[in-house]
Amino acid sequence: MSTFDVELTVNGTPRQGSVEPRRTLADFLREDLGLTGTHLGCEHGVCGACTVLVNGEPARSCLMLAVQARGADILTVEGLANNGVMNPLQQAMWESHGFQCGFCTPGFLMQITALLVENPNPGEEEIREALSGNLCRCTGYESIVNGVLRAAGHDGSPPEPRH
Amino acid sequence: MQNIAERYTGASVKRSEDPRILTGTGCYVDDVRLPGMLHAAFVRSPSAHARITGVDVTEARKLPGVIAVLTGEELDALTVRGPGAAGMFSAGLPMPSFSVLATDKVRLVGDPVVLVVAESRYLAEDACELVVVDYEELPAVITQEQALDPAGPPIFEDLGSNVLVRSPVATFGDVEGAFARADRVVRAELRQHRHQNVPMECRGVVCSFDLGSGELTVYSATQGVHIARTGFATQLDMPLEKVRVLAGDIGGSFGLKLGAAREDIACAAASRRLGRPIRWIEDRSENLTASGQARDESFEVEAAISNEGHILGLRVKMIIDTGAYPGLGGMLPEAVKGMIPGPYKIGALSFESTAVITNKASYVAYRGPWASETWVRERMIDLIAKELAMEPLEVRLRNVVTRGEPPLQMLTGRSLVGVTSRESLDRIAALVDVEAFRRRQAEARAQGRYLGLGLATYIEAAPGPRTPGGGGGIMGPEQMRLRLEEDGTVTVFTSQMPHGQSHQTTLAQIAADEFGVPFDQVRVVVGDTDVVPMGFGTGGSRSATMAGGVSLHGARALRAKVFEVAAHLFEASPEDMDLAAGAVSVRGVPARAVPLGEIARAAHEPGRVPRDLEGDLEVTAEYDGGEGGWAGGTHAAIVEVDVETGQVRIERYLVAEDCGVLINPAIVEGQVRGGVAQGIGAVLLERSAYDPDSGQYLSSTFMDYLIPTACEIPRIEIEHLETVPLDADVNFRGVGEGGMIIAPPTLCNAIEDALSPMGVRVTEQHLPPCRILELIGAIALDP
Repeated sequence: MSTFDVELTVNGTPRQGSVEPRRTLADFLREDLGLTGTHLGCEHGVCGACTVLVNGEPARSCLMLAVQARGADILTVEGLANNGVMNPLQQAMWESHGFQCGFCTPGFLMQITALLVENPNPGEEEIREALSGNLCRCTGYESIVNGVLRAAGHDGSPPEPRH
Repeated sequence: MQNIAERYTGASVKRSEDPRILTGTGCYVDDVRLPGMLHAAFVRSPSAHARITGVDVTEARKLPGVIAVLTGEELDALTVRGPGAAGMFSAGLPMPSFSVLATDKVRLVGDPVVLVVAESRYLAEDACELVVVDYEELPAVITQEQALDPAGPPIFEDLGSNVLVRSPVATFGDVEGAFARADRVVRAELRQHRHQNVPMECRGVVCSFDLGSGELTVYSATQGVHIARTGFATQLDMPLEKVRVLAGDIGGSFGLKLGAAREDIACAAASRRLGRPIRWIEDRSENLTASGQARDESFEVEAAISNEGHILGLRVKMIIDTGAYPGLGGMLPEAVKGMIPGPYKIGALSFESTAVITNKASYVAYRGPWASETWVRERMIDLIAKELAMEPLEVRLRNVVTRGEPPLQMLTGRSLVGVTSRESLDRIAALVDVEAFRRRQAEARAQGRYLGLGLATYIEAAPGPRTPGGGGGIMGPEQMRLRLEEDGTVTVFTSQMPHGQSHQTTLAQIAADEFGVPFDQVRVVVGDTDVVPMGFGTGGSRSATMAGGVSLHGARALRAKVFEVAAHLFEASPEDMDLAAGAVSVRGVPARAVPLGEIARAAHEPGRVPRDLEGDLEVTAEYDGGEGGWAGGTHAAIVEVDVETGQVRIERYLVAEDCGVLINPAIVEGQVRGGVAQGIGAVLLERSAYDPDSGQYLSSTFMDYLIPTACEIPRIEIEHLETVPLDADVNFRGVGEGGMIIAPPTLCNAIEDALSPMGVRVTEQHLPPCRILELIGAIALDP
């Protein structure tokens, strides 16, 4: 099968590769560039674990071809921390015990990153709606929602129960 | 021991797993890269039940980049037939013989038939498309009725029928007398549908056989490396010592990833034949179709009751559908039988069970595998309450045991010492205010809105109280090695294989407290059969007590050994040693303290300590569970059912639970919430559906098998009850499974309560909107 050259920016660094047209962006990131922080949970665009930011917009890297990302600016989970120092979202998730097994985590972090750019102060319902395309099987989501609230500047403690 | 104010145990210490997980630097099995690694894909059966009449791999072998195509027959010659590691769950049960890949026939949709190994996963899947398998279709055995039909085609010819095991009636107490005395008898046929574990990470393995040494190294996503090793060694006919199993980060499991799967064995056999590493990562379609499923059980129950609501006796008949390849399913009825009385004073019980084989995915453990005992009992209690027009809470309070009063024993044998079920019911009653709810419910109904309150109670032997001559809970004692390092840190080697449970944090909290070092100076090593002690691994809610307990006792033993070595250096008595701020001194002489690392170095240097103390400053500890105790609690849900759409909205979900002494409250609450979320999914969304005629699997994508999102799971209010300590030192109890055990009956009870004006009687566990509309008569009943 013929291959195509792909040049793009990943986490601020120019990267290139030569790929079959059918190669997914996820496989290109994970297998060709060695960025295994992005995870594959379903490969049919439902679970959201493979979410990365493409030119600032969340995208399912399992449903996107590497050739479609030519010239794009990609941000993956590896690009969130700065010189080994976790960013405020990562810190907030750590404080909030946001995740358990960690497999869905990269997708959530990227989706939340996009959410907080668009809406720096989201309410709980907005958070839940924004995250409804990301599946987590461990947490029941409450700790993740708390982590987003904390990252958005709330103290991270759960609100009063709804009666 | 740390000053009580500085203790880590009991605090929501931030997880040591998180820095790697949050930065994308964890290492899951799909992240393992070995030089020369090849990629595997499987040709799988499109049919539920068919004879294989031909396999043609000619074209597949010709495809450039394909290294090997191995048929079921070829792999059969390279391996030992099943059940392999799954046999540990089937001792004493009839066991058919089956090959690693299908040879004579396929027994479920997705049954692996041919293994392709290629330079990339893309090429391996291309080659799968070129394999031609001829099938002669056989009638599919899908329902319990089909499986029980003696005229049906046997799925395993050597078993002769599709009944795996039929257990005779077991009776406890005077069952006939109870029914003769009863004021009333309540009958129900209850059904629990097929669930799936659905970890976000599918199964996977990297197998690397070294032709030079004859050793097999396996990187596996598994709940226990030693059981996996036993599986590989058994089915590859290799000595255990030649097999090493490694595991890194694991993306969830919930019971699925135990032992060595048939696909794993096939990849290992292929690696041995090719002398190259092979990676197989299950895709989601394979996972949903063929990895394994759970909870497909039906019950006929009769309850003999008094008009005052006392349960005088139960008659229970259980049928369990164990799917195609025998494993855990056959032994589960025994567990259900033992637990079905729960924390209640049930006067008499008869129990009989049948386990059948069908052309569906094989039965696997799923978060509280015996949970149907709770579902059946708690559903029956609500049906009894309805029969007597009593408050379900009141029926529970009239039957639940009271601490300090006989009989403090389950009818089926186990002691109920320390059980706090009554306290959890009282607590939930106070939190909910049942009377106030009933008034609000009546007002809402007058406005055409349907609110419901459901509650349910469970106990789990996690590990359960000590049994006479027993101890250790299920799956034996737990071992741990602990070592003081030359940098003053403590390394803990555990057979636990965390896959979300945060043991690298919790076991370090306990060891740090007991040994007396800061939390970040304890390192917990998991996932390597060469270095971690023998043990089952993680499962059965046993880690908190068993691994927590051995961490406590092991740290205590290591501290004693360190003091013994230090005493020689100081020429003093071990009893006079003191540890503070990472250094040991003679009590009262802190100025002459020796850092912990120096003590470890002294033990390594010849001549500084007596010969018997020379070497690694290490201990091996074992813990049998101590006095143990029950975990348990009561959950309550307040729901509103929209009778136009059939949608169920959970207004409030409350938990009053007792998992003993909390090691890390945030981690405990994460386990509770995660379990409840799975239970909510099981009732409102999830179902492993099969076409009853063809046996086709209908839920093979996330568009069909729906797991809950952040929009379906409410905030969950959790109260931790004061526990009853039974042991002098270790009163941590398991909490992993509880939420998934108790949430389904809680929710079913709430939904039935909401729909009671329509006379709805809930006898199944799957209540998606279409089913609710059927039950209230808004749409025609699906026959």
